[in-house]
Amino acid sequence: MTRHIEDDALAIGSASDATAAITVRSLTKRFGEVVAVDDLTFSLRKGAVTGFLGPNGAGKTTTLRLLLGLAEPTVGEALVFGRRYRDLERPASRIGAVLESNDFHPGRSGRDHLRALALAADIPPGRVDEALELVELASAARRRVRTYSLGMRQRLGLAAALLGDPELLVLDEPANGLDPAGVHWLRRFLRRFAEQGGTALVSSHMLAEAALTVDDVVIIDRGRRIASGRLDELTERGRTTLEELFLALTGATP
Amino acid sequence: MKGQLRAELLKQRTTRTILGLFAAMLGLVLLAVLLHSFGLPADALGDASRQLMVLGRGEFLGALFAALLGALSVTSEIRHGTIRPTFLATPQRARVVAAKVSMGVLIGAGFGLVAGAVATIVGAAALQERGIDVQLDAGDYALLVAGATGAAALWAAIGVGIGALVRHQVPTMIGLCAWLLFVEGLLADSTGGLGDVARFLPGSAAAAISGQGPDTLLAPALGLVLLVAYAATAAVAGAIATNRRDVE
Repeated sequence: MTRHIEDDALAIGSASDATAAITVRSLTKRFGEVVAVDDLTFSLRKGAVTGFLGPNGAGKTTTLRLLLGLAEPTVGEALVFGRRYRDLERPASRIGAVLESNDFHPGRSGRDHLRALALAADIPPGRVDEALELVELASAARRRVRTYSLGMRQRLGLAAALLGDPELLVLDEPANGLDPAGVHWLRRFLRRFAEQGGTALVSSHMLAEAALTVDDVVIIDRGRRIASGRLDELTERGRTTLEELFLALTGATP
Repeated sequence: MKGQLRAELLKQRTTRTILGLFAAMLGLVLLAVLLHSFGLPADALGDASRQLMVLGRGEFLGALFAALLGALSVTSEIRHGTIRPTFLATPQRARVVAAKVSMGVLIGAGFGLVAGAVATIVGAAALQERGIDVQLDAGDYALLVAGATGAAALWAAIGVGIGALVRHQVPTMIGLCAWLLFVEGLLADSTGGLGDVARFLPGSAAAAISGQGPDTLLAPALGLVLLVAYAATAAVAGAIATNRRDVE
């Protein structure tokens, strides 16, 4: 089974290399003795939602930080649209990203948070209210973030990512802490984003939810890629579940 | 850079932090000036250098609170995590630091102007009220206010740099307060301190700009040049560190 998966992954990787939204090549990140990301290679198919899956501590967040220029790789490279994120002149107009669900000043309103980001990213101020409408947060926009529920904070983060009308979304555990209605909303949102030609990389350890949302998966464990490809091919069109596959691959089954 | 600067100014306008800092500064300026002018014995306030020291509390507190404002503009973003969206919007991190320095210089100058003017006006009035002969002229007053403005603007830049180097909010705040309130005073102490060398420390350079120590401190112009050098060094060091280090 492993061989089949690897072949699949390579096929996807090479086919989309020239125009890939994301290209991760031999990416390694060490923190002292700890190897958080270990020789990781994958690329992303455009117009698809890709689930970036792995157990807690597998290196998902570190990979996303490397991809978004917040950390420097020890070895290898992580490119967005063929370039390092830090070398992009107006990255927010092509890539929207959310790494943490609560990256806000509690005393600032949601709308002011977005206004400051729009100024810095050279995005027309009119986009602020549009983005708030997109995530259905317009009515609470002038309240201080300290009064927001977790779901509202998740959506405000998403609004920040959508400010520049990006073609690529990178979201780290966006469903964390959402209630069922919030999860449903997020899934519908991501599906619509992909239908309109958008590409998304969404990390998650919630497999049942991911299986409903994503087209492709990249599964990592201890910093290494252990599987990648189209979800329906990896699960042999429903003969096995993503959960079974994941547990078998990560060696968590008894 | 213009967008980043406008973003930094908007960030300052949209929380209550700046109001709190401003109110605390104003309250302390009034307290310090009034305590000194009314509390010290009249014969200790007779000569010009002592009067300059009392009115110079505006420069000192303006610089201190401008430094805190500058440092908070960095450490608060790290503490609340907004540094991540900030760097996603502007991955050229040195630009973010430069915008914060510019914002700090602008708002710090405002802090210093108010602190210097209030201390000068209230201090001179209080001394006169006590019947003490104020030996300062218009040139002294102008230098006190202009010096406070410049000193606070430059100390705000130092605060941004130190905040970017230290990153953690509480150690940064304590460090800046401790330096300006105690450490420089201890080092300047005639016994056991650095002696004459203490004139070249950044707090003393700031006091020199407002003409507070014609006999003990550097000349105002020299103090200004030295403090510009300190501010530039801190800002550049902060920008380099911010560029090099990973963001949590």
